[in-house]
Amino acid sequence: MSGGAGTPVAELAGNPRTGEHGALSCGHPVAFSPAALERFEALLTRYPTKQAALLPTLWIAQEEFGWISREAVDYVASLLDLAPAFVWGVVTFYTMYNRAPVGKHLIQVCTSISCHLAGAEKVYHECRRKLGDLKPGETSLDGKYTVIEVECLAQCDKAPAVMVNGDDYERITLENLDSFLEKLK
Amino acid sequence: MAKVTVDGRTVEVPDGSNALEACRAAGVDVPHFCYHPRLSVVGQCRMCMVEVEGMPKIQASCTVPIRDGMVIHASSEKALAARNATMEFLLINHPLDCPICDQAGECKLQDNAFAAGLPVSRTSEPRRQFPGYDRTDIGPHVVADMTRCIQCTRCIRFCQEIAGTGELTFIERGGHTIVWTHEGRALDNEWSACAADVCPVGALTVKEFRFRKRVWWLEKASSVCDGCDVGCNVSIEHRDRVVHRYLPRVNPEVNDFWICDYGRFRAEGLNGQDFLRPVLRGASGERETNWGEALDSVKGAVDAALAEAGEGSVLALGSARLSTEESWLLARLFGETLKGRAELTVDDGELRRIRNPKARGSFEGFLKGREAAPNSRGAEAAGLVRAGKDSALEKLLAGGPAPRVLYVADAAFTYRVKDPEYVAALRRAPVLVVHARTRNALTDVADVVLPVASLAGKEGTFVNVQGRVQRFDVAIVPPPVVRTDLEVLLHLGRRWGAFDTRWTARDIFERMRGSVDGYAGLEWDAESIVGAPPSVSPAAAYDSLLAEPLSLPELVLPAAPAGGGAK
Ligand code: SF4
Ligand code: SF4
Ligand code: FES
Ligand code: FES
Repeated sequence: MSGGAGTPVAELAGNPRTGEHGALSCGHPVAFSPAALERFEALLTRYPTKQAALLPTLWIAQEEFGWISREAVDYVASLLDLAPAFVWGVVTFYTMYNRAPVGKHLIQVCTSISCHLAGAEKVYHECRRKLGDLKPGETSLDGKYTVIEVECLAQCDKAPAVMVNGDDYERITLENLDSFLEKLK
Repeated sequence: MAKVTVDGRTVEVPDGSNALEACRAAGVDVPHFCYHPRLSVVGQCRMCMVEVEGMPKIQASCTVPIRDGMVIHASSEKALAARNATMEFLLINHPLDCPICDQAGECKLQDNAFAAGLPVSRTSEPRRQFPGYDRTDIGPHVVADMTRCIQCTRCIRFCQEIAGTGELTFIERGGHTIVWTHEGRALDNEWSACAADVCPVGALTVKEFRFRKRVWWLEKASSVCDGCDVGCNVSIEHRDRVVHRYLPRVNPEVNDFWICDYGRFRAEGLNGQDFLRPVLRGASGERETNWGEALDSVKGAVDAALAEAGEGSVLALGSARLSTEESWLLARLFGETLKGRAELTVDDGELRRIRNPKARGSFEGFLKGREAAPNSRGAEAAGLVRAGKDSALEKLLAGGPAPRVLYVADAAFTYRVKDPEYVAALRRAPVLVVHARTRNALTDVADVVLPVASLAGKEGTFVNVQGRVQRFDVAIVPPPVVRTDLEVLLHLGRRWGAFDTRWTARDIFERMRGSVDGYAGLEWDAESIVGAPPSVSPAAAYDSLLAEPLSLPELVLPAAPAGGGAK
């Protein structure tokens, strides 16, 4: 009988297709640094089961590797004794895990209702245009910027709100967009 | 036990049941998709809505544990409206390609939609499409079409909880959700086709069976898989003398709802038949003949051997693939009437396992088979002697005295017939007679080849690894001149006055009751040996199971490949 779970698909007749919903490969095995491993061990003590620690472990992985690659999924799965498919299912459920490499600055423009009313849509498009006609989610050629649209950042009183990596920026309008982008450089 | 009232009818159900099971026990069939008696309850599909007195909102019945005195309204207007709404939601994005869908006829969505009686759709919007994820192999035996998936997660839970391999998962969310594997992996485990069995719709289908036959044309017969000594209950599904597939036949004591892929795809092997007439081989070459001449020549050879070499000059080799009835005839005829020996040898097979929460032993939760044939226990009980040291077979193989006549009742009794030396050793017997369906190295050198039917053409009983006697029935009538092993032995035995050719497997079964271990007191028709009847699909066999809520096996997920890394 052929294979078993985890048979590399290239070895099977009739491979499952890979496509837009699949995990990208980073091309090499990955592993946590000693510091990250320490954080991970500390994490485990706070959860009743290993599976329960999946989300924060994925955060550590994202901080370590910048994005969640196929190899990162396998690695996290092995750390937590989970099936890689289960981990990948969780990664794809949430929007804040990056499934592809992102630029140094991940510019997340809120376009939910308050920000939308305050003109966030235009800011979003203009921001992408200024950084080199980026498509949604695309990374600029110099690898510095990725612009995506996100839902409410809980900064509605300071709309339009933008988040760059972990930091909040408030009232980003067409008028101050240039100086905002200038500051990021 | 708790008393529950469903639509005015009060029934007693075991503690730990849920409202959906209580409804079914009361004879009210609540439509459902995600509930499965052997999988954890997730309340995923929202199809099973009922009203429960004392609960303000309508409830998904599979998620409601019953209480003593609970009153359920399963067919109230509110319940029906909720279910119809769910159905309409499910159909909004369903492609409705039943005419080209291989699940049609055994599709829960089709059945439930039909039962709901909502003939007209209120939507005309285009349906969801998943280019690249439709009509695509997801594993060696399963084809996936995600446009048809209704997100019930049965397949995912099957892989996590029953197979324990966890290949499948939901990817993305909301209207974009698909079931898929982690990138680059296949849905490939020992039971992968069962994931297609549990899929209520045509989202997962079995590659080997796709488009072979519309399911409503199939005829079904109860049988038992002969792949190993677990003896999984299967339904042979056939049409016009062609076997098209096996489906598991639900038997909570043995294979539960499952069969392994190895066993399942043995079905195709039942269709081959190389020998359509008896063959005689002699100095003047090989020729086909009729049964009278073939059996007379066997009798002549045996009589000559007995006259010249006396008792013990005839050796019969049985097989763990023969039914106990056939083994009994073989042992009677050769062991007693002809004063020879009737022996048996069994191959060790690969380990086969079937998840069964009732199975005990070193590998908790699985029933395991280690022999490559189904019935060594029955054959031994019927009087065949397991070949060991000092057996006539071992002596023959070791170059010792050869029997004058070697009668092999199953030409494929061991994989070792592929070995020319082994065949040469058997051929040392001056006369070699074999029963055979397909050609192999042994039939190529035999003096007499007697053409016999496959498992699908026979009836009888096997004794599995648990010592359980299980009956299998005839599915297809063998080709005109081909006979079953049983008929061949009866007609041969009659030549010495040993048997009556009118005996059926049932007659022999009844004769064996007095003398064969494990058969005392058994009834041919008893449910315990017949198992459940073949059903439309494994999903339709719930009812027999409601009496016994089962604790689910612990969730076992495999460790990911250490260190990750793309392969
Ligand atoms: S593929 Fe079938 S079993 Fe799996 S979630 Fe979809 S409908 Fe359910
Ligand atoms: S476990 Fe054995 S009896 Fe069951 S299906 Fe597989 S081969 Fe057949
Ligand atoms: S709507 Fe943009 S922060 Fe809430
Ligand atoms: S069967 Fe109850 S929610 Fe699916």
